[in-house]
Amino acid sequence: MTMDRRSVLGLGGVLAAGLVLAPGMRLVAAPENVTEASDKRRWGMLIDTTHCDAACTACTQACRTENNVSIVGDPQRDIHWIRKVDLHDKDGRKPDRSLPVLCNHCEHPPCVHVCPTEASFIRKDGIVLVDMHRCIGCRYCMIACPYKARSLVYSKPKVPPDANTRVPIRAKGVVEKCTFCVHRIDDGGEPACVEACRKDGGGSMLFGDINDPNSEISKRIREVSTTTIRADLGLKPRVHYQGI
Amino acid sequence: MELLRSLAARIGVAVFVTLLFVLAVGLPANVQAGPPQLEEPKGGGECIRPEGWMRRNHMDFLKHQRGLTVREGIRVRSESLAKCAECHTSHTRFCDRCHNYVGVAPDCFECHLFPE
Ligand code: HEC
Ligand code: HEC
Ligand code: HEC
Repeated sequence: MTMDRRSVLGLGGVLAAGLVLAPGMRLVAAPENVTEASDKRRWGMLIDTTHCDAACTACTQACRTENNVSIVGDPQRDIHWIRKVDLHDKDGRKPDRSLPVLCNHCEHPPCVHVCPTEASFIRKDGIVLVDMHRCIGCRYCMIACPYKARSLVYSKPKVPPDANTRVPIRAKGVVEKCTFCVHRIDDGGEPACVEACRKDGGGSMLFGDINDPNSEISKRIREVSTTTIRADLGLKPRVHYQGI
Repeated sequence: MELLRSLAARIGVAVFVTLLFVLAVGLPANVQAGPPQLEEPKGGGECIRPEGWMRRNHMDFLKHQRGLTVREGIRVRSESLAKCAECHTSHTRFCDRCHNYVGVAPDCFECHLFPE
């Protein structure tokens, strides 16, 4: 059997489309009625700091809109799920870097360890979450987290006028943090920050299943030199950085 | 003696009237008004469970569903809390009216964005 040129090209297109989509991600508009988090997966992120511009806030803005994280005003009580941090080497040997810092969804999360009500927990697919229905706002987790990833809701939150109804706001007195946009992942999507970084930023964030050796993120972590923040603590964070 | 007796009668009447007044003002309005008037669900479909079952069990159902979704990562989209809002289009005129009547105050809508 011989294939004509056009059908060979068509086949190539199908294969290419399959490659562009990270494995484990589906392009479906309407998700199935019932979905379950898989214990075979471990969601992780790779941030290429060489393409992260210090002035860019695409990821932090997108996170606030997606997850209804309003700006409190008082810097001491600010709520952030993801924030930009500037790195400067005092000896001037390394170039200045800017990078987003968010919950690292550690394999051994100290926040979960100290939580007295089991409100903080690890979901089957490795995402570290706060069950808002159990959180009593004691803030042990905030002290335990070395990444400053968690914030307490000090006052009754403002409901943004264009609130995203898919994500509940959080009431006064609970601790909140990045969820890897768990509601989007369950619908087969990716976190809002990653999407915004690709569209409006430097395209420096990659999200995927690091348990799957064939995923884009697994390949990149194998191929380029990456590190995690405070790797010395042995918490095995799942947010990897390139270029720091 | 006569004076004392009439004084006692007057005080009695005064106390009785005051009591009546306290009762009338002090009782919550809904106790006098009979069962709460709930807003009709929109769309004319049926509830996700038989109506009587739902009336008795929705609190346990919602909390069970909540545990499944948040902790186990099992999402049943046709039975999520947000889904209720497609038919029960107001929490003040549906859920809250009933809850005020029976005296429970779930805090769900402090976080869950349900139509007013
Ligand atoms: C497809 C539309 C629909 C959806 C979705 C729906 N309901 Fe209903 N629900 C109804 C209808 C219709 C009734 C019957 C009301 C009547 O006849 O007065 C009802 C009745 C009820 C009742 C009993 C009210 C009474 O008068 O005693 C409760 C409680 C209730 N629903 C809760 C819920 C909850 C909680 C959810 C979400 C998990 C939900 N419903 C989702 C349509 C719906
Ligand atoms: C027909 C009356 C009725 C309607 C309508 C109703 N509820 Fe309830 N609900 C009750 C009663 C009665 C209880 C208290 C049960 C108990 O405490 O044993 C309750 C309790 C609850 C609880 C548990 C509260 C707690 O403190 O444990 C939740 C959650 C709840 N309702 C949610 C809803 C939601 C959401 C709706 C609207 C979609 C709704 N209810 C509509 C009668 C109603
Ligand atoms: C402090 C804020 C807060 C309060 C109060 C709260 N929730 Fe939630 N709830 C959340 C968050 C955050 C989620 C996670 C949403 C997600 O992952 O999609 C959630 C998820 C849920 C879910 C699963 C998602 C869905 O839409 O079905 C249910 C069911 C639920 N809550 C029910 C309740 C009920 C019933 C109450 C009241 C007794 C309540 N919640 C009170 C914050 C809250």
